[in-house]
Amino acid sequence: MSDFTIAQRERENVQVLELKGYLDAHTAPKLEEAFQSLLNAQRYNIIINCRDLSYISSAGLGVFMAYIEDVRKNKGDIKLSNMSAKVYNVFDLLGFPLLYEITKDEQEAFNKFAGSAR
Amino acid sequence: MLKFRRFLYLSGSFLLFLVKFAVDIIRMNVEMDMGGLMFLRELAAAGAFFLIFLTLQASVPSHAVNPARRLGVFLFIAAVFMIGAGLMGFLPADGFDAKEFTLRPLDYASLFLSSLFGLLAGIFAMVTLRFLHDLVLMYQKKSTVRNFQIFIVLLLATAVSSLLIRPLESSTVTSVLYGLTLVMAVVNAFRMPWIVYQTKREKILTLVFSFFLFLLFTVGNILLSQNDLLSRGLLYYSRPVQEAVSLSIWFGNLFCGMVFATTLFHLPTAGAFDRKRSEVASIHTLSKLVTQVFDFEKLTESVTSMTLQVVGAQSCWLELLPAVEEGKGEESDLLPAWHTQIVGMKNITRGEIEDLLGTGLQYLRSAVYRDRKPIVVDAVAKDPRFAGGPKGVPRPGSLVIVPLVSHVGPIGFLYATKESEYGFVKDDVELLSTFADQATVAIENSRLIKKSIERERLVQEMTLAQEMQRKLLPQGLPAVRGVDIDAISTPAFEVGGDYYDFVELSETTIGVIVGDVSGKGIPAAFYMSEVKGIFQSLSALYASPRDFMVRANAVLSASIDKHSFVSLLYGILDVRTGRFQIARAGHCPLLHVGRSDSAYLRPDGMGLGLAEDDFFSDTIEEHTLQLAPGDACVFYTDGVTEAHRNSDEFGYERLRAAAGLADGKSAARMKEDILRAVDAFIENESPHDDMTLVVVKWLGLTA
Repeated sequence: MSDFTIAQRERENVQVLELKGYLDAHTAPKLEEAFQSLLNAQRYNIIINCRDLSYISSAGLGVFMAYIEDVRKNKGDIKLSNMSAKVYNVFDLLGFPLLYEITKDEQEAFNKFAGSAR
Repeated sequence: MLKFRRFLYLSGSFLLFLVKFAVDIIRMNVEMDMGGLMFLRELAAAGAFFLIFLTLQASVPSHAVNPARRLGVFLFIAAVFMIGAGLMGFLPADGFDAKEFTLRPLDYASLFLSSLFGLLAGIFAMVTLRFLHDLVLMYQKKSTVRNFQIFIVLLLATAVSSLLIRPLESSTVTSVLYGLTLVMAVVNAFRMPWIVYQTKREKILTLVFSFFLFLLFTVGNILLSQNDLLSRGLLYYSRPVQEAVSLSIWFGNLFCGMVFATTLFHLPTAGAFDRKRSEVASIHTLSKLVTQVFDFEKLTESVTSMTLQVVGAQSCWLELLPAVEEGKGEESDLLPAWHTQIVGMKNITRGEIEDLLGTGLQYLRSAVYRDRKPIVVDAVAKDPRFAGGPKGVPRPGSLVIVPLVSHVGPIGFLYATKESEYGFVKDDVELLSTFADQATVAIENSRLIKKSIERERLVQEMTLAQEMQRKLLPQGLPAVRGVDIDAISTPAFEVGGDYYDFVELSETTIGVIVGDVSGKGIPAAFYMSEVKGIFQSLSALYASPRDFMVRANAVLSASIDKHSFVSLLYGILDVRTGRFQIARAGHCPLLHVGRSDSAYLRPDGMGLGLAEDDFFSDTIEEHTLQLAPGDACVFYTDGVTEAHRNSDEFGYERLRAAAGLADGKSAARMKEDILRAVDAFIENESPHDDMTLVVVKWLGLTA
């Protein structure tokens, strides 16, 4: 149940979090922690790579809601990429594509950050 | 009663002594053959001493007094007696004339002296035997008692055998008995196991007391054999008494000499013995720590005060690391960044500890953490590891850090300091380690108990929340003509946020709502109750599901925290026409089951609580579905579609297939079919999430 891991890497000015496994009420605190440390370090350009994310629950979705406001206030953004159809469906049902930029792949999200910086 | 008896004994013995004294006076003046009178005299003496013995027996009950103190008291008595005897020995008296193995006092002074000395010597002999009896029988075994009894019997036998002979005569029987008694005295003098168990201080006292007692007994022996006045006086007084006194003094002499020698022999190891004994005692006390797990304060207090006691430390303190969840703590050799917490200290202040940590102690602590082994600093002042840090911080002479290691790793440190350098020997460190192990167990247990109490509390809260959640769901099904409804909500092992409800808006319209609050547990249960309140109040005001959603979002957004949200699917069915208006706010699509096929209906709309008014209302759309008689609509939560076996989800297709077609089966039957299909799919696994199903079947125009 709790096999959820986050790998963090930096691409130029963009922080990429790679989520892997099940993101639910039990594992959501891990993601919260990761967001919090990014915010503490004043890193506001964030890409969430969901390639290996196999499941997300409503509590997992809530984590994004909790931080998006702060991130955007600081002229940053949280963009999501590489979602499986199943995961995308969960986002989509709740209308998240209206709130977040969800791209097919990480490069696309990265380019958008690069574009807005220019 | 006891007092009276003692008084009786004493006056009896006094009377007997008087009788004997009177006989002696007569004997001095009248020359006669006095066989009968002599016997009476001895009988009187024996009777008098027996009564004194009874008095003594009744007045020396002290058994629990430690041997050193006993020797002290005895030394005082012996000294008084010996000084008295010594003085008597040099009184100006003419002494005794020896003739045909018998003695004759030359003057009344000698006679009087003989009587007094005989009395005192007899009493002293009894007191001696009484004291030695108590000492010899300490830690007694069966043979101890027997040996002492043999000695006393032989002593009495010697005395009695001498009744038959004249004062200066000697007999083989008496000599043999005398010799045997001495042998038994030697045997008894070897019984002194109590010396071993004395503390060092007690041993020193014993050594001093026994030395002086030995001297006094030696003096007594010399007086009895060398001083004519005393030795002849005693012999004249009574030959049996003389034998008994002589043997008692020999026994005292031997015993005290043995005590002195033995104590001397044990003295070098006395310190070590003391330490071992206090170790055993403290480990015994420590084992009681385990029972103190309910009071953490008391536990740390015990640990620190015992540390001081056990190794004689000047100060000590106990530091704990925060409790680590099992399996969550990362294995690391570095002391975690979070700070340790001082939970108990003795003879040192928090400020002083922090100063010490600044001098290099913290590096030692890291080393202890890494190696999980104690570190001893023999001379803090000369140790290079303490060279750094602020000047002027008072430092201890020596110190030791012992880790508290549990099965998950170090949980804390125990520190002890001494004023002197090289204050901690190997034994101290080993003892502290044993001590730390015990303390670790106690602390771990204390934490476990705290945790399980906490867990118990959580379980109770959870039960309460589940109860609350259950009460929020409809207790029955709406009875509206023209529509067949069935519903079920099965909570998973925790409190979830599933919600469904009905409202009869008019005689011909019914509202059906299904929702899911994000997250789980108590917050979800609370939001759910809020959603119910909103639904019950707002549904009556808004005839359109879309309008309801927009309004509900406004209300909910004001109160919900930003990482929570609610998904809803709301439909209003006109029972007369089969017109079904639906709006979806982030919820799972509606499954419409018709006569020939089934399909999902998914009007746009985002979840409640995710966006503000305009943004939200722009996303939401209302859909109107025209039902045919017999059509069914299935409302559900993601617990159904996401029910999974391993990584395989039940999914939309299986749900659609399970619902089948609207071929006349009841809402209840359709619900059962779906549940059975889900159960079959997940096999024997218990569902991970709440599952809610509401089936609404429009029967058509019947009214």
